[in-house]
Amino acid sequence: MLAVVREVQVPLLAVLLIGGCAAKAGHPRWGRHESGPTVICPLRLRRPAAIALCATELALGVGLLITAGRVGAGAPASAVRAATALLFGTGAAALHELRSRRPDAGCGCFGELSRTPVSWRAITRAALLCVAALSAIGIPPLRMPDSAGQAWLTLAVATAELGVLAALSPEIGQAMLRLGHTDPCELRDVPVGRTLSALRASASWRDYQQVLVATTPDDIWREGCWRFVVFPGVLASRPVDVVFAVHLADRGAPVRVGMLDTDADFAPSHEAQSPDTPIEDPLQLSNHV
Amino acid sequence: MAWWQLQSHSGQVRRNPGISAISHNQRETGGSARFARRALLRATIFEPRDHEVLAQPPAIAASVATGVVAEVGEDAIAVVSEQGTESFGVSSATETWLGARASPSALRPGDPVIVRHRATDAAPGRKHAQRIWARVGRVTGTIVAADGLEFLVDTRRADRPQQRVVVTPASSRQIQVRFPRLAPGYLIDVIGTRHGDHLLAVAPATAQPPYHAGHSPRPPLVGGPVSEPISGSAVWHEPGDEPNGLLGLAYPAIDPADGAPPADGDTGCVRLPYLSFGAAVLIRNECTERAAVLPVTGDAAMAREFCDRCVKCGTSPKGRVADLTMAAFVGLGGNLEDGCFNATLATMAS
Repeated sequence: MLAVVREVQVPLLAVLLIGGCAAKAGHPRWGRHESGPTVICPLRLRRPAAIALCATELALGVGLLITAGRVGAGAPASAVRAATALLFGTGAAALHELRSRRPDAGCGCFGELSRTPVSWRAITRAALLCVAALSAIGIPPLRMPDSAGQAWLTLAVATAELGVLAALSPEIGQAMLRLGHTDPCELRDVPVGRTLSALRASASWRDYQQVLVATTPDDIWREGCWRFVVFPGVLASRPVDVVFAVHLADRGAPVRVGMLDTDADFAPSHEAQSPDTPIEDPLQLSNHV
Repeated sequence: MAWWQLQSHSGQVRRNPGISAISHNQRETGGSARFARRALLRATIFEPRDHEVLAQPPAIAASVATGVVAEVGEDAIAVVSEQGTESFGVSSATETWLGARASPSALRPGDPVIVRHRATDAAPGRKHAQRIWARVGRVTGTIVAADGLEFLVDTRRADRPQQRVVVTPASSRQIQVRFPRLAPGYLIDVIGTRHGDHLLAVAPATAQPPYHAGHSPRPPLVGGPVSEPISGSAVWHEPGDEPNGLLGLAYPAIDPADGAPPADGDTGCVRLPYLSFGAAVLIRNECTERAAVLPVTGDAAMAREFCDRCVKCGTSPKGRVADLTMAAFVGLGGNLEDGCFNATLATMAS
C-alpha cells in the first residue's frame, strides 16, 4: 500500500507541474497579473521571474515523466524528484511570505484561476506536494499494475489524493464559476465575420438582397448587443441605404432592417444666429429647475 | 413577415439630441458626417430615446466657448475662436483659474481659455462668463522616465504619445502625498498649466493606484445583461489633435473590431458594453444633475487603468466610465480643476 502511494506521486506531480505552467502561459496578461510570489519581485524582474518559474515547472514535469520508467532510473530520477520537492518547499515558504506582505494577492499557481488571496489551504497544498515529491525518491521504476486488484488500488489512491488536493484548491471553485458563466452579449468580443455570416444566413437578408446593389458593406458599427451593417441599395429607382441590425447573441438571433433615402439630410441643432438671438445649447442639456 | 419602411428623418432629427451634439461637432470639425449618418440609420430601426433627455427643457441656456484671449478689459474679455471673436462680460462673480484661483485681470492676450458662460437676465443678448480656465492642461499616463521633479509620461494617445510633466516645488508636497511613487512603471494623473512643450503640474487629479500600470484589478464576472445606467467617475482630457470645441467623450470599451489599440486582455475595472466610434451615450453629471447625449469620439485607454472613485458629491463606484472632451466636461457643469465628477452613463442601444 505504501509503495502504491509513493508510486502515484510521480505522475500526479508531473500533471500538476505541466498543468500549472500551461494555465499561466495561456493568458494574454501572463507575467503581468498581480498574483503569485513574483509580485514581491521588483517590477522589471516580474515577467522574467514568471517565465523562469513556468519554465522550471515544465522542465520538472517533463523530467518526472521521462525518469518515471527505466530510462533515467537511479540518480537522474532522484535528482528530478528532489528538485521538485525543493520547488514546492520553496513555494510554500514564498506563499507564506506573500500572504504577510501582499494579503490581497493570489498564489498564481494556475494563472487566472488562482486569484483568490493566499490562505492556509494553498500553503498546505504546497507543503504536501513537497512531501509527496520527497516520498517518491528511491522508488523503483514505475511499471503497469500486475493485476486488476493492484490497478484498482492505484486508481483509488490517486483518486483519494486528488480529492485531498481539490479540497485544498480554491481554483476548483473558480473553474466551476467560469464554466457556468457566459458574458452577456454586450461584453463579448464578437468578430465581424461572425456577424456577417449570421446576417447572410438570416431570412431578412434573403428578403432584402434584391434591393442591394453591392454585397460589400459601406459601414459597420456596434452598439452593445447590436451590430449595424449598411449596404447601398436602390428602391423604386431611388438610392437608399439599407441597414441591418444583427443581435450578437447566440445562433438564431434576430435581424432587423431599416432603410433611409441617401438624400435624407438633417439640420444642425442651431443655425447661424443673429447677435440678438439667444444661443441654443448644442448639448441639449437637461437642467433641473 | 419582414418589415421595412422608407424613412426620411429630416424633421425628426432636429429633436434628436445625439444628432444635435454630433452635428455641432460636424460644424466644428468638417467631418463626423459618417457618425451623424449612423444616428439616422439607427433611428430607422430603434426608437430614439429623446424623451429621457428632454424630460425638462433647459431653464437657462448655458454654453461653453473655447479660444484664445484677444483682449482683456475691466468688465469684459474678447476671445477669438473658430466662430470668430466673442465678447464675454466679467465681474467679481466670475471665477478664473490660471493654475490657481485668480482674477480675470490676470489673463493675458494669447492665453488659451475655455469659458463657461450664460446670458444674464439683465442683458439677454450679452454673454457673461461664469468661469474661465486659462492654460489648463492635464496629463494622465504611465511614467516612463523620471529626473527629480521632471517626468516623461506615456499617455497612450496616438496624437500625444509622450508628454513632459514638471512638478513645481510649491506643488510637489501636495502631489507626492497623493502620488507617493513617482517612478517609471507607475501611473500619474495631474492637472496644471500648459507652457510650451510641457505641463507645469499644480495639483493631483486623483490618488495614485497601488498597482503598476497594466496591473489594474479585474472586474467581477457579470451575469445577465449589464445593468444601466452605469455609475462611476467621469474625467476629462486635453484636445490634442481633436478640435478645441469638440463635444464628445473617449470611451473605455471600444469594440475590438473597430481597430482600437489592443487592450492586452484588459477591459478595465468597470464592465462597459462595447461600442463603436460615433455611438451615442447618455452621460449625466450626478453633482449638477445635468445630462447630455454625446458621441464616442475616442478610445479611453488610460481610463481603463484607473479604478479610482470620484468624491465631488458623495462617493462614486470605482472606475472611470467616460473621458470627456474639455468642452463637454465644462458644459455638463464640471470644473476642470476638480478633475472629475460623479457620473452615470447609459448607452442608447436598445
